[in-house]
Amino acid sequence: MSKIKDFKTRLKIAKEKISNKSSSEENKKGHFMGSAFRLGTEMVAAVGVGTIIGFILDNWFDTKPLFIIIFFFIGSAAGILNVIRTAKNMQSDNDRK
Amino acid sequence: MANPMYQFNVHKIGPEIEIAGINLSFTNSSLFMILSALTISIFLFFGTKEKKIIPSKIQLISEMLYSFIAKMISDTAGSKAKPYFPFIFSLFVFVLICNMIGMLPYSFTVTSHIIVTLIMALFIFIAVTIIGFAKHGFKYLSIFIPKGVPKVLLPLITIIEIISYLSRPVSLSVRLFANMMAGHTMLKVFGGFVVSLGVLGGWLPLSFSVALTGLEILVAFLQAYVFAILTCIYLNDALNLHH
Repeated sequence: MSKIKDFKTRLKIAKEKISNKSSSEENKKGHFMGSAFRLGTEMVAAVGVGTIIGFILDNWFDTKPLFIIIFFFIGSAAGILNVIRTAKNMQSDNDRK
Repeated sequence: MANPMYQFNVHKIGPEIEIAGINLSFTNSSLFMILSALTISIFLFFGTKEKKIIPSKIQLISEMLYSFIAKMISDTAGSKAKPYFPFIFSLFVFVLICNMIGMLPYSFTVTSHIIVTLIMALFIFIAVTIIGFAKHGFKYLSIFIPKGVPKVLLPLITIIEIISYLSRPVSLSVRLFANMMAGHTMLKVFGGFVVSLGVLGGWLPLSFSVALTGLEILVAFLQAYVFAILTCIYLNDALNLHH
């Protein structure tokens, strides 16, 4: 009987250790690094996509620099929107934790 | 050999196969894709073969992998995304193992080629768009029209939203590809410094190399994680419309 009790206390201690570990700083650091990697490309990709759309439209309508310029700026706006949205998501993730 | 980009060369293994004008030759890239798929299958086969109450190490790792992804999906995409668990699980494990196999010396990193990551990202993008339209019909288009925008600005905002939506596969694929390629090039460059500086001066780049290898393993895991979690986020947008 005492053996079972002994095992139960040991299990309890082990479980507490695990639950402490899972919310440790190390884990959070990895999560933040994952989010940091996301932000940079989010911006660049939108600018790239915008410029490419502008380039295609220019080829269609034969208006060489016009649409590239317009869509470059729209793409930048989309990039900033992306970054703001991602940052907002991160913020709400943090608040929830 | 000293060329740091040489490691990314794709070359044929065996005869050239051409079907209907498309080159379908077996390359080192396909070899390593098959290798990683085999690694995953064998590992998970042995990990789930014996279902003990006190798990062996290999069973423990497979179960941890399962609960890790299950938790990630329920945290980011909610319970509605449960049916897509097998897809996201395979995606995460495939990218992870491809990255990790790429860390072995003399191996080839499949994910360091943009065509591989772009195809995966495009598949996710198209699948998510189809899921969105299937679940909500044409109401899905309302994600391009945010609430509370003045009517004058609406056309501009809609164009911006569409570009932001279209940039998803690009950012998803470029992130993975660029991280893997940059990391492996850097490792190779520092490795080259060790050789060219010799016994006297080679120790500094060698220590950098060791540190970078650790960092690269972290990046390999993190990129697979980011790839999977972004898939979950996109899936969440398609499943739960709340713009």
